[in-house]
Amino acid sequence: MSNPVQSTRRKKGRIMSAAELARLQFAATTGIHWLFVILTMGLVPIVAIMHTRAAYTRDPDKRATRERMTRFWGQLYVINYAVGIATGLVMEFQFGLSWSGLSKFAGNVFGAPLALETLIAFFAESTFLGMWIFGWGRLRRGVHVTLIWLVTLTAYASAYWIMIANGFMQHPVGYEVRGGEAYLTDFGALLTNPHALLALAHITLAALTTGGVFVTGISAFHFARGTKEIELFRSSLRLGLWIGAVASFFVIIVGDLQFPVLERTQPMKMAALENSGVAELQAQLVTEHGPADYAPPHGWLRVSMDTMTIIGNTVSTVTLIAVCLLWKDWLVRRRPLAYLMTAMIPLPFIASAGGWVFREVGRQPWLVYGELTVNDALSHVSRTSLVVSCTAFITVFVALAAVNWSLIARFARRGPHATQLGATEPLPHDVPGDGADEKQPVPTY
Amino acid sequence: MSLETCWVALLGLLLAGYFVLGGYDYGVQMLHPFLGGQAQAGPAVERTSRNAALDAIAPFFLGNEVWLVAFAGVMFGAFPHLEGDLLPGLYPLIVAILVGLVLGNAAVQLRGRAHSARGRHWWDILIVFGGALPALCWGLVVGLLLHGVPRRTDGTFHIGPGDVLTPFVLACGVTTALLFAAHGAAFIALRSAPELARTACQLGSSLLRATGAVGSLALLLTLFGAGASMTNRATSAALAALLAAALAGAWWHLSRGHHIRAFAATCCATALPVLLVGAGHYPYVLISSSGAGMTLHQAVTDGATLTILTAFGVVLIPVILAYQTWSWWAFRGRTGRRHPSYF
Repeated sequence: MSNPVQSTRRKKGRIMSAAELARLQFAATTGIHWLFVILTMGLVPIVAIMHTRAAYTRDPDKRATRERMTRFWGQLYVINYAVGIATGLVMEFQFGLSWSGLSKFAGNVFGAPLALETLIAFFAESTFLGMWIFGWGRLRRGVHVTLIWLVTLTAYASAYWIMIANGFMQHPVGYEVRGGEAYLTDFGALLTNPHALLALAHITLAALTTGGVFVTGISAFHFARGTKEIELFRSSLRLGLWIGAVASFFVIIVGDLQFPVLERTQPMKMAALENSGVAELQAQLVTEHGPADYAPPHGWLRVSMDTMTIIGNTVSTVTLIAVCLLWKDWLVRRRPLAYLMTAMIPLPFIASAGGWVFREVGRQPWLVYGELTVNDALSHVSRTSLVVSCTAFITVFVALAAVNWSLIARFARRGPHATQLGATEPLPHDVPGDGADEKQPVPTY
Repeated sequence: MSLETCWVALLGLLLAGYFVLGGYDYGVQMLHPFLGGQAQAGPAVERTSRNAALDAIAPFFLGNEVWLVAFAGVMFGAFPHLEGDLLPGLYPLIVAILVGLVLGNAAVQLRGRAHSARGRHWWDILIVFGGALPALCWGLVVGLLLHGVPRRTDGTFHIGPGDVLTPFVLACGVTTALLFAAHGAAFIALRSAPELARTACQLGSSLLRATGAVGSLALLLTLFGAGASMTNRATSAALAALLAAALAGAWWHLSRGHHIRAFAATCCATALPVLLVGAGHYPYVLISSSGAGMTLHQAVTDGATLTILTAFGVVLIPVILAYQTWSWWAFRGRTGRRHPSYF
């Protein structure tokens, strides 16, 4: 059994096998799904903070500004969520569609976190977000603010359960194998898997970096273009930059904390990254698991790791300097500096994609580390079906991502006056400071 | 009742909930060109970006399809062996459903962004397609599950054109698509302004008659032995009778303008196919066309895992039902002057 990625590279031009198509389909759909997820996770706490500040500001002018600010950033967040939600729906089916060996071998263990994710988190997140979006002017202030915090909480709860499932693939714990099937023996161990928790902390900080840099970049763009909403964007810039600077500092530290765990649990990943000691580990793994190629491709790991670390350090350094330049608004008085902030927006996305490539390509050839290989887990689905589904999913997902980013760019460029969220037809009660606290009468039948 | 029966009931509840909630979304998507509320304005007035039918589903749209995700999640958690055979087996249909869902979902939200009538026209086509394809394919899945799938000795199966293109499975597909459309019409009648509600009632009752006609074909095929081979015949007959009663009731109330009762009846009618598959084949969860099949006991996860899931479920399910109900309550009533949209 040869490593799929290596064999693709060796025999370029050859048609892809079913396993490669299924891997491509999973990697592409997960990868694009992740681009939506990281922005959702990065923006929602920022929007929640803004909404809370707006709701509890007494001064009517300030309050109006802060509410406009919440709606503006909330709008960008909602676009990303609403366009991206469908990608999450497809993800839920991907495991079963192409990797039935996973449910056969690890269904008793791996299915539980996925089931709990949908019941605890995803269900609540979508319902509460729907209510938050349509609750402007309809729900009481306290209830409305609570809703966005519930959305935040459930978004991160969702990430927790998904990382528990992913952590089990990286480093299976809390189970035993009887008759070729894994059984859950220690739920606590599953929930405290270091491979899951450290990665969760890492992606949380990465998401906050992404959200912070996003808010900073768009605010700086509006300063560079001479916005009239100075107060709104100054406040956004400060919040975004502080979050970005602090999160990007700690994301590196938490990232480094994972290396000792990797050395211990996935030595081959580290060996392949450094390209040293692969042969000894390969020999050792062959005696343990039988003949196969156990080395993930060095090139992929090196490039993805370098992409992540170089970008991570750059973003951290630049945001730290930028925080100092917040003094007297020096950062946005010089146009090139402001545009530099805008140009940084894509960087955290690229870095996080690199991180995932390192984590998941480095897991090869295993699907569940040391227990189940990717090739053994493949469903018996015909190549034709896979070609069709792979093409369809990738086309649709790429189109969704393109639409998402062009919409976000358009709304971001237009600025707060063009925000539609919660302001389709202003009612007299919607005017801030004018009884917006009272619950709106609900239309009756 | 054993734990595994509870969980299969929950699985059924989630799928039935999705059929009811997603069902009216797809119905409204299919019907929105006819029930947009622009007809009165006359052809001289260019169609605006607002569509009353789509406005009616807007606040619920995000929350509805989550039921499908929850269904998939619970199936993986509690019935991994069923999931491992069912999804690859139904691969082409599941992929079609997902692609339809994603396209429809995006189109509903992006339609308002189109600047020209021509652009909106394309989005409209995609919205209809994204409603009709999942509705039809879910019907085909129901038909296949009622009839039985060609399982091999190791339990796996692959459906091909020969399995789907049978009169019974096709009849189930068309019945479901028509039923979802009628359900959507009943929902619009409930939520929209009076004139539009009247049009929706008329359209809905014609659709219900068509549903009844094609549904009878599926029933006849079954009676002549070319359709469903039910494990529990008495239960299935009772459920089929209930389904017929729900359709008749919906038609009766819709043609008399009782919107709430009509919608309640179409809700029952959309949920009953799920119950028919579940209770009609119990204790089997997947039937082979050659007889027997995968039992609930073979499909369920290990006892230890199920106990843990149950501990969470006892708390979570009532909470989920509570906040879903709250969200429906908060946005009850007809769509009026304020038409919120996502963006």
